[in-house]
Amino acid sequence: MRDCKSIWKAVLSEIELEVSRANFFTLFKQTHLLSIEGSVATIAAPSGMIIDLLQRKFFAIIKNASDHHIGNDTKIVFVPKTVVDEIVDNKDDTLFSEEAIKTTVGHLPRVRPDYTFENMAVSGSNQLAFVSATTVAKSPGASYNPLFIYGPVGVGKTHLMQSVANEVYSKKPNTKILYTTSEEFTNDVVEAIRTNTTGRMKKRFRELDLLIIDDIQFIAGKEKVQEELFHTFNILVDKSSQIVLSSDRHPSEIKMLEKRLISRFGGGLTVDIQSPDFELRCAILLIKAKKYGVALSFETAKIIAQKALDARGLEGLLLRIVTEAQNKGVTQIDEEMASSVLSFEKEQDTGFHPEEIIENVCTFYKVKQTQLKSPKRDAFLVRPRQIAMYLLKKQGLTFVEIGHLLGGRDHTTIMHGVEKIEKIIEQRGNMDFMGLNLQTFGKKVD
Amino acid sequence: MLVSLLSDKLLEKITLLNHAVSQRAPLPILSSFLLEATKGKLIISATDLEVGIKAEIAASVEKGGKITVPAKNFLDLITNIKDQKITLELEDNVLKLKGVGLKASFQTSQPEDFPKLYEQKGDEILRLQKKDAEKFFKRVSFAAATDSTRPALLGVLFEIEKDGLVLVATDQYRLSYQKTPLKLKHDLEKPVVVPGRIVKELSFLKDDKEDIIFYLSLGNNQVVVSQGDVEIVGRLIDADYPEYQKIMPEDANTKTEIDREQLLNAIRICSVFARETANIVKFSLEKDKLTVSANSPQVGEDLVEIEAKTIGEDNEIAFNAKYLIDVLTTLEENDLVFEMTGPLNSGVFKVQGDNSFLHLVMPIRIQG
Repeated sequence: MRDCKSIWKAVLSEIELEVSRANFFTLFKQTHLLSIEGSVATIAAPSGMIIDLLQRKFFAIIKNASDHHIGNDTKIVFVPKTVVDEIVDNKDDTLFSEEAIKTTVGHLPRVRPDYTFENMAVSGSNQLAFVSATTVAKSPGASYNPLFIYGPVGVGKTHLMQSVANEVYSKKPNTKILYTTSEEFTNDVVEAIRTNTTGRMKKRFRELDLLIIDDIQFIAGKEKVQEELFHTFNILVDKSSQIVLSSDRHPSEIKMLEKRLISRFGGGLTVDIQSPDFELRCAILLIKAKKYGVALSFETAKIIAQKALDARGLEGLLLRIVTEAQNKGVTQIDEEMASSVLSFEKEQDTGFHPEEIIENVCTFYKVKQTQLKSPKRDAFLVRPRQIAMYLLKKQGLTFVEIGHLLGGRDHTTIMHGVEKIEKIIEQRGNMDFMGLNLQTFGKKVD
Repeated sequence: MLVSLLSDKLLEKITLLNHAVSQRAPLPILSSFLLEATKGKLIISATDLEVGIKAEIAASVEKGGKITVPAKNFLDLITNIKDQKITLELEDNVLKLKGVGLKASFQTSQPEDFPKLYEQKGDEILRLQKKDAEKFFKRVSFAAATDSTRPALLGVLFEIEKDGLVLVATDQYRLSYQKTPLKLKHDLEKPVVVPGRIVKELSFLKDDKEDIIFYLSLGNNQVVVSQGDVEIVGRLIDADYPEYQKIMPEDANTKTEIDREQLLNAIRICSVFARETANIVKFSLEKDKLTVSANSPQVGEDLVEIEAKTIGEDNEIAFNAKYLIDVLTTLEENDLVFEMTGPLNSGVFKVQGDNSFLHLVMPIRIQG
């Protein structure tokens, strides 16, 4: 007997070309070829109403397609029957099974219960951070204290830190855990000063067994807050309570942070998380897809992973595709669908206005635009000027245009400046010298 | 087509029919009503291909005909006009509606695109009075899953036992079981699973005098429920129902008599604090009281004590408040019995002096 499944797939793919998408999804998607006996093909559809429509409106199309793939003069018979797709497995046929009794311990304030070590995708770029975080969660205060995690946005710093909190909490619910952000910490300090309750606040922080502060870089420039953190820090480390911190850059690169704090932040283990590589991005997509309850093939994940670089971007794209899939009532996301949704995605706009670039370079180096455009060649002006030249060149401006923009300079001056910067980049190996890159200047620099 | 009828009669029927209108249909025809005018009546149908509903309204028909109109617009318009005589007239594929000082016209689509709800009605299998349907089916249908990967759980099991029909529905977290004295017209080879959506529609049937009749056509996998001039059509769920007998409770360690309204009130109070912790409320059973409590680390905690006559050992158990509220709002009787064996065995609700009904709720394990 011929393989009904593959025959029907071929028939359906032909029908798909003939009928509208809506008709195909509502009427044909759930049909199955049950058997071919002699010249009679039996087709199952879920309900009599669907069969009625298929017979009255689409019979010619079905007949035509099945003539091609099954054989001429095939008689088609419809039966109402729901064929359960193989995806739907009935593996647990028992009701009220033991696993279904949910174990819930409540969850920590501010901490998402679904951020756990189990559902974190690990690859080369975040392995070190992952291992150190699990070690810390296993024996808080005993191994690396403090644990300082840094890396760019959307790489999983928060996920990792909340996993530590969840892990410790699920093992020992009585541990005093506080997860906070530096913004909330600041608010607490300010509020305590305002209401004259600093004593109570100090007590609250200093009795903790595990203190986690996210985005610590925001305490930069806040002296009183830094002082409070410094003392809290000392006391907690002394009584071997665990501290976990995160930031978007290395502690020594956080500006306006007191020396004594920088030294303390570096006193434990400082690990970085890099932007996820391609494989990790695929893995993240597969995990997220599972969370949304959709089936995502590896090939499709690859397509999506090419489109975004950080985990949030990926989730955003995935969510859009999932929503689209739900609208169409499909549970399986295929490559074609992903590409069609993603093609609407606007190419990321990297074009910056030249004036904006000049302005931002000036802000960053704290020079005036008039100075940058002036004929003066003081050492403190030359480098920023050359960087501006380089960045403008990267935007596709011509040497002559750049010369005009920067105070009527000769195009050879510009060529020299661009070369100079290119050489520096070559020596240092990447764009990120001095922590800058094109993006930094495109955005407003604060 | 030229028909005149009373708008309120029409409204009553299309409100019910709207349950079968697909809300986000990819096919426009599934968001439409089919209107058919024949001798002395207007027949209206709606379907989303899963469930179809058909209703007849007495009307004076001058000219027969058939047309489909967009359901939502039609319903919204009829909802907003006062009871009056209206006429529906079809002219060049536009349906014109006229009332007192009112004129509206609807763009229509071809009635041929509308699926036929059924070929044959099937055999009459069960006939019951409206009040029985209300009592028995309501107690069960709410427990059926509305969204599940296991198709069987979307339905209500109709099983024949020697004393009569037994109805069961579960969504894996709770289960309703109802024995009824109803007899089927003829035996079934195996139990059937009727979609929960169809059973839930029974409570929307307004006519109290007419009997409700179930027709079954096993060959077509089809079930039709009719009452008077309304027919609801659906397909039987073609999947084996899980073996619910395995989880039916044996004798309980703790039994307590409670008042439904008091308990419901207590749970509603506690669910304020349960919202953030997966809706968990805890029962503590003691000799003369039942304490319902909830807490969430961020918000706070509370407890409510209600009177209860408890037999057996003291016990504790936690549930999702939603399931408790569902069963307590569905039952109408006030004297209930709650039974349990231990914190990890399901809790059982019964109606005092009524052995035909059981409702099981799965507990939630809490730590610490």
